[in-house]
Amino acid sequence: MKRFTAVLAVMLLASFLVPAVSMAADAYPSKPVAGMVPMKPGGSTDLMARAIEKYWIKYSSQPMVIVNKPGGGVVGTEGVVRSKPDGYTLYLGYGSGHDIVMPSLQKMPYDPQKDLIPVARVSIHSVAIVTGAKSQFNSIKDLAAWSKKEGKPITTAVSVKAGAVDLALTAFGKAAGVNIVTVPFSGGAEAATALAGGHLMIGGGHPSEVIPHIKAGRFKALAVVLPQRDPSLPDVPTLKEQGIDVATWGSVKGVAAPAGTPKEVIQYLEGTLKKVCEDPEFRKTMENLSQPVMYQGSEEFGKFLKQATADYAEIIKRLNITIN
Amino acid sequence: MTAIILMAGIFYGSMYGGSTTSILLNLPGEAASVVTCIDGYKMAKKGRAGAALGIAAIGSFVAGTIGILGMTLFAPAIAGFALSFGPPEKFSLAVVGLLMAVTLSGSSVTKGLVMMAMGLLLASVGLDPISGKTRFSFGVIELQSGFDFVTLAMGVFGLGEIFAGLGSFIKAEVATTKVGSVWPTLKDWAESRMAIFRGTLIGFFAGVIPGGGAVISSLVSFAVEKKVAKHPEEFGQGAIEGVAGPESANNAASSSSFIPLLTLGIPGNASIAMIFAALLIKGITPGPFLIQEHPEVFWGVIASMYIGNVMLLVLNLPLVGLWAQLTRVPFGLMAPVIILFTVIGSYSIQGQAFDIYTLIGFGLFGYLLRKLKFEPGPLVLAFVLGPMIEASMRQSLLMSGGSFLIFVTRPISLALIGLFAVLAVGQAALIVYKRFSTPT
Repeated sequence: MKRFTAVLAVMLLASFLVPAVSMAADAYPSKPVAGMVPMKPGGSTDLMARAIEKYWIKYSSQPMVIVNKPGGGVVGTEGVVRSKPDGYTLYLGYGSGHDIVMPSLQKMPYDPQKDLIPVARVSIHSVAIVTGAKSQFNSIKDLAAWSKKEGKPITTAVSVKAGAVDLALTAFGKAAGVNIVTVPFSGGAEAATALAGGHLMIGGGHPSEVIPHIKAGRFKALAVVLPQRDPSLPDVPTLKEQGIDVATWGSVKGVAAPAGTPKEVIQYLEGTLKKVCEDPEFRKTMENLSQPVMYQGSEEFGKFLKQATADYAEIIKRLNITIN
Repeated sequence: MTAIILMAGIFYGSMYGGSTTSILLNLPGEAASVVTCIDGYKMAKKGRAGAALGIAAIGSFVAGTIGILGMTLFAPAIAGFALSFGPPEKFSLAVVGLLMAVTLSGSSVTKGLVMMAMGLLLASVGLDPISGKTRFSFGVIELQSGFDFVTLAMGVFGLGEIFAGLGSFIKAEVATTKVGSVWPTLKDWAESRMAIFRGTLIGFFAGVIPGGGAVISSLVSFAVEKKVAKHPEEFGQGAIEGVAGPESANNAASSSSFIPLLTLGIPGNASIAMIFAALLIKGITPGPFLIQEHPEVFWGVIASMYIGNVMLLVLNLPLVGLWAQLTRVPFGLMAPVIILFTVIGSYSIQGQAFDIYTLIGFGLFGYLLRKLKFEPGPLVLAFVLGPMIEASMRQSLLMSGGSFLIFVTRPISLALIGLFAVLAVGQAALIVYKRFSTPT
């Protein structure tokens, strides 16, 4: 019994020591880089991450490993914020709703601007307002008219609470005088599934999430919430074209590292991502995913994020949007 | 193409492998194998590990193959069924499945309900599924995404069992030395044949529903088997139907969960979503046009699944004898190895030492449960289904503007609740009848 306990203790000890051994430091990168996706697999952020993962290895000596940590975006992002700033933990999807929209709506456990260093912007994509193919609504005007006549709320599927899609749809409702009730799911894929089943009246989503359903004849698009039309949905008018003064930045998707990451590491990551973004095959893949590549370097991306956050704050203030 | 088949293979292969550790070590590798622990581990303790493993392998093979056959023939027809499950239907299904398994499985309904409530409470730690705010984390960063399922299951099942074993060290050693027949006997086969068949049917339909289909199918199968069994009192004591049914169900479910992906382009669970992403990046859009645009992918995946199932049977059956011998290994040797693996396992999930402490904490909790004669099964199952129940209920209420009528005004949801009500009233009537008819 004594010997058994001793063996047990040694084994337990040994298992605690394992991580300490593997932490040797060499020229960056000396081991695989973890790319944290704070959403479920299959959504738009996850798709972009997996496309980057595929082309990253062409330009870096170490692979990128995608880690999904779902939880409304905040949990996974906070995991990156609190991780060691050594360049081995990156946040993929920087510029999402919870980075540039949510801070204007609720208290955040970290500062999305100060606690993260922008590495590069990869893509911007719009938010589309869609409805089931058999729905009675054929335009934004129909929605407003129905809502005024019936006085009933319009149930709307959105990916997460207080995200870019939630905000776009809520802002639309406020500006158009339509009673929109957003129902959050855990990610765009799940929201689209519920809408496809006809369980909600309308939904919002990124092109990569709704275009497959549009092609399959299950959805029709009513509007795009961007200042101009989205190249992946060229036939769909913007809200502005339909007389509603609401336009957002849609969803921005970039890469970030925790604050405190050494400058040379950021430069390496920025350079590698630039090469990935210039790769024609990567561009083609992203186009197929309806996420056009719109690269920006670290400094520019930082300025852009400040502007986008201010713009969202302005919309939220102007339309008096609250989310609880 | 090969990458997709590889990923698919890993997915349904793990569903197969989950039963082995559940039966031998009381360690459910994934949520759908929790139910297998209840009777499977009891069988192993009685020296019938071989029979349990054998029937699990055969049941899985039969169910997997029938599942794929069903998919080959009826995939498009069944796809619409998957979409008809919105938040209210998912809520009713999860609640009814959980209540059925909890009230019908253990020896005491009250204790089962207590465990279920605790499981639901544990599940509420971490992120609020609707507002995205963290709850009950008390400022502990590691708790913000909640407890991890594998750590919880390994703690209350595996470690709890070992801690309990330490208390009765010598007794445990004696109990495991008789191995008995390695293969299922004819009697076993006769008893589990129908269970496999029913499990397959339940699994096939439940698997199509996006989100949690496999877990619910194993629950429902267990409950159904107990309901139709000639000797329901054997359940929980090592009834072979309690292994055959749920194991068949979760394998049929893992086959049929490909249906929404291949025919509608809808990923039903996290593993399938990985395959979904891999296909999209290759420029292939899964959905109704997949059969026409990329027939080689559609039929390739299905063909690979037929072959994969045969391979799993061929690989697993010869191992049954070997695995069964494992129960002969003295407890004193086995226990430290299991502890080592559970610790490594829980650490490796997220690479944080915090999970090891929670593992040990749950282990001690599991020990306590055993001493107080509480079944850990309902706790773990409630923990798995808790987030789904909560999210779908709140989504439903948002949809209905706060009215609970939404759960009874939609046909599928109403049918599920009605079915449970009939079963519950029947059960209650039976208990009352027994109490008054038997002279005391």
